[in-house]
Amino acid sequence: MLQVLLSGLATGAIYGLVAMAFAIVFYVTRVINFATGQLLMVSIMTVSGLAAVGLPGWAAIIAGLVLSTGFGVGIYFGAVRPVLKVGRGGFAWLVSTLGVAIILASIAAIIFGPTSRAFPELLHHESVRIGDASTTWQELLAIIVAVVVLIAFELFRRRTLFGKVGMAISSDPEMASAIGANATAYAVLAFAIGGLLAGAAGVLVGPITYANPYLGDTYGIAGFIGLMIGGIEKPAAAMGGGLLLGVLSVLANTYINSQAADWFPFAVVVVVLLIAPHGLFASGNLFRRWFGRRGNVATMGTRA
Amino acid sequence: MSGEALQIEGLSAGYGRFDVVHDIALRVESGEAVALLGPNGAGKTTVLRAIMGMLRHRRGRIEVAGTDVTTMPTHRIARGHVGLVPEGRRLFLDQTVEDNLRLGGLRLRHDRERVEALLGSVYELFPAVGRYRNRPANALSGGEQQMVAIGRMMMSDPALMLLDEPSLGLAPLAIQDLARALTALREQGRSILLVEQRVDLALQVCDRVYILSGGRIVRESSASTIDAEGRELIDAFLG
Amino acid sequence: MTAAAVTAAGDIRRRRTWAWITAALVLAYFGATYGIAHGTIYTQGLISQAMIFAVLAVSLDLVAGMTGLYSLGHAGLFALGAYTTALLGHAGWNIYLLLPISIIGAGLVGAVLGTLSLRVSGLYFAIMTFIFSLVVTVILQDFAFTGGLNGTPGPIYPSLPSWAIFLGNPLVWTIAVVLLIAVTIVWSIRASAMYPVLLAIRDAEPFAAANGVRTAAIKIGVFALSAGLAGMAGWAFSFSGYISPQQFTWTTSVNILVMVIFGGINTRLGPIIGAAFVSAFPIVVHIDPLVQELIYGLVFVAIIVFFPGGVMGLVMLVIHRLTRRRSGPPLAAAAAGDTAPVGHVEVEATSSPPRRTGSEEYALEATGITFSYVKGVKAVEEVDFRVRRGSVHGLIGPNGSGKSTLVNLVAGRLRPDEGTIVANGRRIDRLDAATRPAHGIRRTFQSAVLVRDLSVRENVTIGLYHRTPNVAGRSLVWPLLPGALRDHREMRGAADTALQTAGLAASWNGARVADVPHGVEQLTQLAAACVGEPSILILDEPLAGLSTREIEQVSEILNDLRERGVTVIVVEHQTHFIFSMCDDVTVLAAGRLVVSGPAEQVRSNERVREVYLGQ
Repeated sequence: MLQVLLSGLATGAIYGLVAMAFAIVFYVTRVINFATGQLLMVSIMTVSGLAAVGLPGWAAIIAGLVLSTGFGVGIYFGAVRPVLKVGRGGFAWLVSTLGVAIILASIAAIIFGPTSRAFPELLHHESVRIGDASTTWQELLAIIVAVVVLIAFELFRRRTLFGKVGMAISSDPEMASAIGANATAYAVLAFAIGGLLAGAAGVLVGPITYANPYLGDTYGIAGFIGLMIGGIEKPAAAMGGGLLLGVLSVLANTYINSQAADWFPFAVVVVVLLIAPHGLFASGNLFRRWFGRRGNVATMGTRA
Repeated sequence: MSGEALQIEGLSAGYGRFDVVHDIALRVESGEAVALLGPNGAGKTTVLRAIMGMLRHRRGRIEVAGTDVTTMPTHRIARGHVGLVPEGRRLFLDQTVEDNLRLGGLRLRHDRERVEALLGSVYELFPAVGRYRNRPANALSGGEQQMVAIGRMMMSDPALMLLDEPSLGLAPLAIQDLARALTALREQGRSILLVEQRVDLALQVCDRVYILSGGRIVRESSASTIDAEGRELIDAFLG
Repeated sequence: MTAAAVTAAGDIRRRRTWAWITAALVLAYFGATYGIAHGTIYTQGLISQAMIFAVLAVSLDLVAGMTGLYSLGHAGLFALGAYTTALLGHAGWNIYLLLPISIIGAGLVGAVLGTLSLRVSGLYFAIMTFIFSLVVTVILQDFAFTGGLNGTPGPIYPSLPSWAIFLGNPLVWTIAVVLLIAVTIVWSIRASAMYPVLLAIRDAEPFAAANGVRTAAIKIGVFALSAGLAGMAGWAFSFSGYISPQQFTWTTSVNILVMVIFGGINTRLGPIIGAAFVSAFPIVVHIDPLVQELIYGLVFVAIIVFFPGGVMGLVMLVIHRLTRRRSGPPLAAAAAGDTAPVGHVEVEATSSPPRRTGSEEYALEATGITFSYVKGVKAVEEVDFRVRRGSVHGLIGPNGSGKSTLVNLVAGRLRPDEGTIVANGRRIDRLDAATRPAHGIRRTFQSAVLVRDLSVRENVTIGLYHRTPNVAGRSLVWPLLPGALRDHREMRGAADTALQTAGLAASWNGARVADVPHGVEQLTQLAAACVGEPSILILDEPLAGLSTREIEQVSEILNDLRERGVTVIVVEHQTHFIFSMCDDVTVLAAGRLVVSGPAEQVRSNERVREVYLGQ
């Protein structure tokens, strides 16, 4: 059981990092960057490509992360910012970021060819025994990174002044400007962090998957589902959703059949959205109330 | 530097194809408290939003302490020593009272001593706020939130203070506290532009009064010598 | 001949001209179809594909452009139609029977998706439809009965009987007819009295509800209709040979949305132009498929970034530039009189002094009303509010006193925690806002709530939606129904009359609400509320931002309404106006009732002076 759990958390860590990438961008800018999955792909392809031409592993990883972060910022300036200026609350950014997803996948396919290639051996696939479970360093690293990112983000958000400015921008961007916060700078930062997390997820998942230009779809959608399950409004909830999704997928894989990992996530997200449309860990919904045991039960529900 | 905290000339602005305010000219001398009165829909909030750079369509010229801010983005105007208490307070409700105040002091964040000193002076002026410093802002009453909003503005130690209908939604007792706070600010030598519907509050606190109607300034007068016709004008609008 | 008869005659002439033009266009359309049905297989394939996507784009524009429901799930609905037809067609079912089955099946799923839109906002709804697309893809790929990744062959389209062979390829004709049907339905809705209602649902939901529009039912209905059209497209598509899951992924949904946005959202031709572009693109840009993908992505990002109005937006811009020289700045001239500075203030009501109606019957009785927005803070506490029939009743109080809350409770936007509300003898507190017009209650709103993209006149016609029979149903073929056209003409006429009564110069009637000054917008709201001939009219701060002249107009209207026996409730800050106009006045403070009674008594009441005037 522990085995399954660890394996699930490792998978979930990847999903969670992608989900957090989505969520952080949404938190600050109210935009969903549908090219986030492709940023993961960019880092994987870069690392794989550079390693193949002889660059040492650590240099390739840095290059991959720099590129995914850079592209993240580029997406803000190229596809999001110009659209936000004009549109009065429409969803043009949805279509433009989806367009960027297509562009990035095509560029990668042109440069690297549409077929898969191997990802360099960076971390030993040595087994590690914990209790009666056996896992690898790679998997443990993924879990550790996810937990560290989660804790670091929450600490930053709640304890530092800049984090609080971020919270202010999220809840009332106009008033935040009126106290001197540069909303554009924060938007750039959010997109950069989103790119970095997606890139990191790519580096962590690279060794267990093949690098191919259309990976972005697979992990992007998985991360997006994790985001929907956990809750779109808070990055911490998104990470939770991703981890949960990972665990459930591996459970389905183990106890149902090997095909189940394909459709199970969708079944989960449909059920979750029907009960709690804003995500399981979003504030003010049933799940939280049962566990939080706060508030007057009689006042549950919303007014017309 | 001229003795003017705020100088507006020929301001016309609006949100769509039509302007809401036309050809506005007003000034606030350094150390003066000036009221902008008028009925609902007259354009008072529009003038404040124009000063803060929140409106795209504006013609005319706005200067704060001698600097032309007409085309500056909001956050730079805020950092240029203009503080705002907006209509409806707009506190950051998911954060504590003290967090809200510290956020107000964002532009001074490098000067820790000054921030702590300002924080202290806010707590001195509003003891109730001090008592609730660690509570989430949404747990406070309307009047208490108003005090926090004013405190937040004070934290940036602004040269020019803009207040948009601070008495809105306040019970009479809270309004008395508000008047006291505004008078204290004025006595500190601040430059204040107060938009209000409550005439008595405005006349009590301010030195000079502008009356705005249908998007235009229709009268300017000193508060103490407001003549019978002026008073009638105000009464007619506001009962 | 009377003026009305002249306009009616002119209308009939215009209608006849349009009828001839339409007939000519349809003939040309079928002529072109004939040509294609005899063309090469290659052309037939290309054009058929483009036409099917045009159906999808047009159906999406109906929900996204007109009703504001952005759907990324249309590929799933498309798949539903295609796979149902393919699988059942192979099982021996009659393919023509499968057409209504596909439409109804997709329509039902669409209705379910439509109900989702009621629970969540626009963005979440778009996400949910996106997930629906993903779910459909998974079902198509992972289950054996759908043929899995390889897909399934579509049914063979039956050949024509020997006497019709001259027509050429029957499938081309069928697809042409399918497109014609879809376009007819969607364009009819656009030309009908339903169009302003849909836009109101999209942009101004409270205004729509206040005029009796059952927004929930309409959203579901429109989505179901759109889904049905997508299902129909799927039916037609299945005859193309082989269908597989790759043709129905979320990318396809995005492509359909791109077609709509690229061509121009909420326009007649936009979706069709967009469909043509996206279909033709791979053919015209005939290079390495990877590079082609790249260029495609670049083009559509560029279009969205630089031309948010799409191709049609660009076309309209050009046309405006070209015609601008002819029409001067008409609105500015008309505005001059209205927004002149207020020099001499006289905001007392004009003409007849208030009359005591002598009637003791209450048109509206609210008893013991209590309501909290947030637990523990009562916005309204045990308020009794009684309004005599035929009187003008003022409701005043400082900001935060609960006036607006009480109005929203009476109007049905909020439900009281405690207490009852009885209007014209019937209890209404448990009923929602859209039921109010049926009880003779209409209202205006404090801040701008009209549909900005529509004209002043069109906004007022929304007020007549409730009184006009079966607007929604008839909208599908509106221009073909003489009765509907007549009703539409009458609605516009009644709207113009109401606007005139509200004191607006006729030159404003055709202007977009986004372009008119605040005072005009307020008077338009008033006209929209009055055109429905209410027995109880509720006005929420009607004087905000009005010039003296406009306030005088409002006074005249209220006096006129009182004479006609209409009960009017006015919420206002301008107490001079209230005390000179109203028969009775109710004062609220901090959520509680301070005093209620005849205006003179209330005015001289000590507590009122304390509480409201701060003295």
